[in-house]
Amino acid sequence: MILRIRNLVWKEFIQLRRDWVMAAFILTLPVLQLILLASATTSSIDDLSVAVVDRDRSSVSRRVVTSLGNREELEIQYVPATLEQARHLLDDGATILAVVIREGFSAALERPSETAAVQLIADGSNDLVADIALGAARAALVDLAGEEAGLPPRAHASPIELRTTVRYNPTFDVKVFTVPAQVGFIVYQVTLTVASIGLARERELGTLEQLIVMPLSRLELVVGKAIPALIVGMLNFALMVVVAIFGFGIPMRGSLMLLIGLTLVFVAVQIGYGIFISGIAHTQQQAILLVFVLAMVDMAFSGYLVPIKNLPMVLQTFAEVAPLRHYLTILRGVMLKGADLSALWQHAVAMGVTGLLVVALAVRNLSRSLD
Amino acid sequence: MSLQRMLVVARKELTHITRDMRLFVLVTLAPAFLLITLSYVFALDVERVDIGVQNRDNTSLSRELVSHITADGDFVVVAWLGPSQRIEPLFTRGKADMVLVIPRGFAKTVLDGDSAPVQCVVDGVDAVAASQSIAILEGRVNAFVAKVARSRGGLGAEALAGTRVLEVKDRAWYNKALKSLMSIVPGLLAVVLSMPALALALALAKEKERGSLESLIVTPVRGSEYLGGKLLTYVVSGVVSGMLAWAVATFWFGVPFRGGLVEFLLLTADYVVASMGISLLVATFVRNQQTAMFLVLMIFFIPSFFLSGLLRPVADEPIARAFAYALPSTHFITISRALFLKGVGLAALSGPALALLAIGLVCQGFSLRLFDKKLT
Repeated sequence: MILRIRNLVWKEFIQLRRDWVMAAFILTLPVLQLILLASATTSSIDDLSVAVVDRDRSSVSRRVVTSLGNREELEIQYVPATLEQARHLLDDGATILAVVIREGFSAALERPSETAAVQLIADGSNDLVADIALGAARAALVDLAGEEAGLPPRAHASPIELRTTVRYNPTFDVKVFTVPAQVGFIVYQVTLTVASIGLARERELGTLEQLIVMPLSRLELVVGKAIPALIVGMLNFALMVVVAIFGFGIPMRGSLMLLIGLTLVFVAVQIGYGIFISGIAHTQQQAILLVFVLAMVDMAFSGYLVPIKNLPMVLQTFAEVAPLRHYLTILRGVMLKGADLSALWQHAVAMGVTGLLVVALAVRNLSRSLD
Repeated sequence: MSLQRMLVVARKELTHITRDMRLFVLVTLAPAFLLITLSYVFALDVERVDIGVQNRDNTSLSRELVSHITADGDFVVVAWLGPSQRIEPLFTRGKADMVLVIPRGFAKTVLDGDSAPVQCVVDGVDAVAASQSIAILEGRVNAFVAKVARSRGGLGAEALAGTRVLEVKDRAWYNKALKSLMSIVPGLLAVVLSMPALALALALAKEKERGSLESLIVTPVRGSEYLGGKLLTYVVSGVVSGMLAWAVATFWFGVPFRGGLVEFLLLTADYVVASMGISLLVATFVRNQQTAMFLVLMIFFIPSFFLSGLLRPVADEPIARAFAYALPSTHFITISRALFLKGVGLAALSGPALALLAIGLVCQGFSLRLFDKKLT
């Protein structure tokens, strides 16, 4: 049995070597993607474009403008004369936030009976960005109002003093969160790509028939297809971890062996998914498009872009089935928090159970489609 | 170049899609299906913070503080820690985002008019979420202080009596309530519409892999006619799935559509042509579907989620920025949001529209040349 599997694995590697373009891509593109995405997602959101319509033109209104510009999140890029021009800037997407200071602003500020108003208009078409811009502008204005009223900022001791300690990432470095997640995504993409094609390709090219007439059992066929994908996936993982640790300075606080072990489980589960898809699809085109649909859904439920606990209950249950979600928790836990198996075993078990189910389905499905 | 021969190729391609029911469903319906699923996940306005509480004081004031913080359900107490219990496991198991430690003698210190330290230990792994939670917590603690001060008098009330001289009025245009759904649906629409482009790359790679390209070469069909015919079919199917996705956005999610439908169709076609330009380029370089898929996934699809301005704005980092603007999805996200929410006309969208056109022309011109060479 071992010999037969070995021969099949050998055949797969010969095919991969012949297709050197693919082999080269598998080894280089993931590293490039990691570097590109990590550098793009690690910078904080700042220097959002602001347009200021200052109709008051007094020393106070200029102080308002300066205090807005001093916020890291905001950058004053336009000084339109009218609200109409500001509207055009918002329409074109050239600016995120328009600040309007009306005539008589400074005069109103002098009279205690009146309130001087500053109007903020945000482009709500991206709510996240609008929230950040509005929050920053509001904070700048509140600070300024305090100064103008002669209150020294936070001079008084509050009866309750909040002392904050930040664990694992005291400098609030965003890349500590994003880089391990990207490592997980990339290992996911690579294994699923390699595994999902195998059988569909043989079927499409008619070589599956040849494999069937060989003295290979179904299990041997699946295992033989899985091993090359496993090797490619683990190789990629090693590459990614090296780049993450030495290139991006992500700490490795837990046990590397534990991470490797759990990655093996994850990769095996992904291969199960891949072979399952490969088995139900009749052509490679179908298999690939199915993988894309699955990958999109998996990514959404991975807990990276949206925290799982914020999802409605029904979707949370659904997310439990997605192996990527557990794997990202494991990656983060081991690398950043130094978590051990006692903290992570539930995630490992969840992954393993889904994996076994999928592999069983894949083998069963394969036997049906072969007959 | 003959239009007739091109149409023949287009018809052959259409047969390929319609004959294979699964493929037909995947090409036309998958984007609409994905739009529905993904929108529910991404469009969340609630941000829950799970906290653990170690109340060493255990007085009515300290309990009041906790219930004040958790009153509206944004902060949820997931664990009450005993006085000697360790905090660490809550973080390694990912159960809590933050732990509040209220010291012994808290109430006495506060009522004596001194400052009592409340320890807040935060899991900083997700830096953005952590700093937001801390800011919200600070706000709530301050509000609690003000409330207590008001009800009991004294307690630093004079410090809170600062006169309000400046009023900030804020408004959000285009999406008044700043609902995530309104901005995420038009954005995701661009990402899911990259599926038809992938299908084209696969269709081309398939002919190469199977060797059926050879038999096409001996027919009088020329390279440009062949590519043109394939492109035509997939552009049409892309626009059709664009319409479906539009219907999902407007009727299912109730996103207002303030722009013109004609503009939307026109620019969708523009986007589909540009994204198919990229997939044609990919397909001319590769020899099989697996490589085509891997390339599209790596250079087009995944970056579309992270670089294109779907969630966070396009990065300032020069390489990432250049890459983002080379992606058709970056431009179409801008277009789609502007057409749905802002209701602007073509003039305001000329920038991204022309960028898409340029990407399409360059990629297709390039791949056509490469392809012609290979055929002869």
